Amino acid sequence: MNINLAIAERARAGEALTVAEIDELGSSDILSLGMLADEVRRARVGESVTFTRVLEITGASGASGASGASGASGAEMRISKLPASLEDTEGLIAEGRMLAGPQLLTGFSLADIADRHWGKLVDILTRLKSAGLDAIVEAPVDRLHDAEDALKACEAADLPVRCLSLQSPINIDGRSSWLIHLRDLVMKFPKIDTVNPLSREQPVQMPTTGYEDVRAVALARLVLPSVKTIQVDWAQYGPKLAQVALTFGANDLDRVSTVDDESLGKRRTSVEDVKRNIAAAGFTPVERAAS
Amino acid sequence: MDLTAFENRIAHGGRLTAADALQLYRHAPTYWLGRMADEVRRRKHPENLVTYIIDRNVNYTNVCVARCNFCAFYREVGHSDGYVLGFEEIFRKIEETRELGGVQLLLQGGHNPDLPIAWYEDLFRAVKQQFPDFKLHALSPPEVIHLSRMSKLSVPEVIDRLIAAGLDSIPGGGAEILVDRVRKLLNCYHKATADEWLDVMRHAHRKGLRTTATMMYGTVETDEERLEHMLRLRDLQDETGGFTAFITWSFQPAHTELGAAHNIIEASGIEYLRTLAIARLVLDNFDNLQASWVTQGGKVGQLSLAFGANDMGSVMIEENVVRAAGAAYCMDEVEIVRNVEDAGFVAKRRNMHYDILGDPFFRAHEVKRTHALSTARDAGDNSVPAELVNYQARSAAGKKQRARPISPVS
Repeated sequence: MNINLAIAERARAGEALTVAEIDELGSSDILSLGMLADEVRRARVGESVTFTRVLEITGASGASGASGASGASGAEMRISKLPASLEDTEGLIAEGRMLAGPQLLTGFSLADIADRHWGKLVDILTRLKSAGLDAIVEAPVDRLHDAEDALKACEAADLPVRCLSLQSPINIDGRSSWLIHLRDLVMKFPKIDTVNPLSREQPVQMPTTGYEDVRAVALARLVLPSVKTIQVDWAQYGPKLAQVALTFGANDLDRVSTVDDESLGKRRTSVEDVKRNIAAAGFTPVERAAS
Repeated sequence: MDLTAFENRIAHGGRLTAADALQLYRHAPTYWLGRMADEVRRRKHPENLVTYIIDRNVNYTNVCVARCNFCAFYREVGHSDGYVLGFEEIFRKIEETRELGGVQLLLQGGHNPDLPIAWYEDLFRAVKQQFPDFKLHALSPPEVIHLSRMSKLSVPEVIDRLIAAGLDSIPGGGAEILVDRVRKLLNCYHKATADEWLDVMRHAHRKGLRTTATMMYGTVETDEERLEHMLRLRDLQDETGGFTAFITWSFQPAHTELGAAHNIIEASGIEYLRTLAIARLVLDNFDNLQASWVTQGGKVGQLSLAFGANDMGSVMIEENVVRAAGAAYCMDEVEIVRNVEDAGFVAKRRNMHYDILGDPFFRAHEVKRTHALSTARDAGDNSVPAELVNYQARSAAGKKQRARPISPVS
C-alpha cells in the first residue's frame, strides 16, 4: 500500500486533517486511497446505498414540463431551472406544489438565486418557502460569494439546503483548501449532512478524469467525518462511474429517473438498474423517502 | 478464502487454475483483484509507461451473412443501408489518419458474399503501393474463415495470399466467448467455432503474424465460460506466443436482437474492472492488456489502468460497430494522453507490435481536437464504388447491382 499510515489512522478516527495531510492523502495510489475510503465509509454509515428518484420539472411550461409523472410516486419533485423573475419562480413553485402534493418539492441552486440579486437573500428565500418550496437542491460553495452568509439566510428562512456541491472542477492545488472550507461549513451548519464532491460542470475540452472523480469522492469521505452522505449524481456521471464511486466512499445516488418503462422488461427500468448496480458493487440499495 | 496464499503465488509468478480463477473472480474483493492485477502489470511493465496506438478503425462493409444476434452493425445482403467502401474512400481515410500521426488501419467488416478474396488482395496491394509504410491490421479470424469458404482455399492458403498482398497482422475480433455452447446461442457458431477461431490464430502465428485476442462478455455466458475463454487463449499463447495483447469489453445491447430477446442490460463498470483484473491474473503469458474506453467511457477506461491494463488501445478516429449498439464515447490523442498522465504514467505511442514509436504526436505537430469519432460514411451516402464491377458478385442482389450503371463514389 502506498499511503501514509499515520494519516490514514487519523482519517479513520475522524480527526481534522490539515491541508498538508489531505495533499499527501490525495497523492496516494488510487487503490490504496479507495480502500481506505471504503473502509471508513463502511465503518461510519454501513453497507447501504441510498438513492433518490427525481421527477424533473423543467420550468419551460410550468408543472406540465414534468416528465415521467406516471412513475413518480414516491419521488422527489425538483425544479431544475430558475425562471427569469421572482414572480415567475413563485408561480412555478406553486404549480409544482400542486403536482407534488405531499411529496418533497425541491428546486434550484442557491448560487443561481443569489446571483439574481432580486433583493435581500433571506427575504427571497422566505418568499420561495411561502410559495411551497420544501428545500433548495444544492449550494455550490465555489460559486457563492459568501457561502456562510447564504447558508445563514437559508436557516433564517427555514428553507433547508439538501447538499453542498461544487460547480466547477477543482484543480489539484486548490482541492485540499476547498475540502477544509466544506468541512468548516458543515461544522457550522450541522443539519446539512450531504456533500456532492463531483463538479456540476464538465468542460468539453477537458472533462475531469475517472481518477480525479473517484479521488474527490474518497477524499470527501475521509476529510468530512461529520458528513453522513457523500453523493454522486447518477444522471450526470452515468451508471459506470457512479457505481465505481460507491466503492470509493460514496453512499448516495441522486437524480435517478422516475421513468420506469417496463415495456422492455422490469430489469430495464431505472429503479431496477440502479438497484442492480448498487448490489453489484456489494452494497444494499435503499430508496430515500421523498416526503 | 485464503487470499494470502494467492498473493504469494501471484507474487512468485505462479499460475492460476480454472478453479482458482473462478473462486477469485466470484469472491475476491474488487480492491484485492485490482491490487494483484496492478502488481502483475508493474512486474511486466516496470518502466511505468502506458502505451496507445494512433490508428483508424475502418469497417469496409456492413453487409454480412453471419447474422450474429449481438450485432447492431450489420445489414443483410440487398439492404438499402448496406455499403462497401471504395478504394479511394479508404485511401482518403488513410491520408486523414496519417495527418493525425496514425500508422495503421484496423480493417474489419461484414461477411459480404459479394467481395471475393481478389477484392481484398487488390485493396491491400493498392494500399501498400500508395502507403508503403502504413500497416494493415486486418480481417479477424471469422473473416478469414469466410474467405476460406468462399474461395475454397484452406485457411493457411488464405493467410498466405493475404500476407503476400500486404497483410501485417490480424485483429482478435470475432472471438466473443470461445465456448461453442455460447457461440450457438449467439448465432456465431457457424461463422467460426471456438476451435476454428483459435486455429486461424495458430496458423497466423506459425506464419509469423502477430495477432491480438479479444473477449466480449455479458451476453449469455457463465463465469466459468469467461474463464474457459481466457484459459484457451492462455494455452494457445503457451504454444505460439503470437498474441500481442488481450482486449475485453462488455456486450453493448442497444439495438441488438440478442439484447431485446433476452432483455440483457450492459454489464456494470465494476464487472468490467473485475473482469479486466482477473484477465491480468489468468493471462500470465500476455504482456499487454488494453483498456476499452470505447465501451466503458473515458473515466472507467482510465481507471482500467489501476486494474491491470497497460495500454489505452487506439485513438480509433472512426468507429461504427459499438456506436450502432448505443455507445458513442470519443477520446482523441490529447485526451488519451491527458488521462494516462493524470493516472501517473508516461504516455508513449506504439505500433501493433508494441514497439515504442515516440512521444505524443500532438506535442510536435498541430493536430485538430476531435470530440466525436467519425463514421464509415456520411448519412445518406449510398454510393457504390466503381471498382466493384471488376469483382464477381455471388448474391442475386449483388449481381443485379453490378449489372446496373454504377453511381460513383463522391
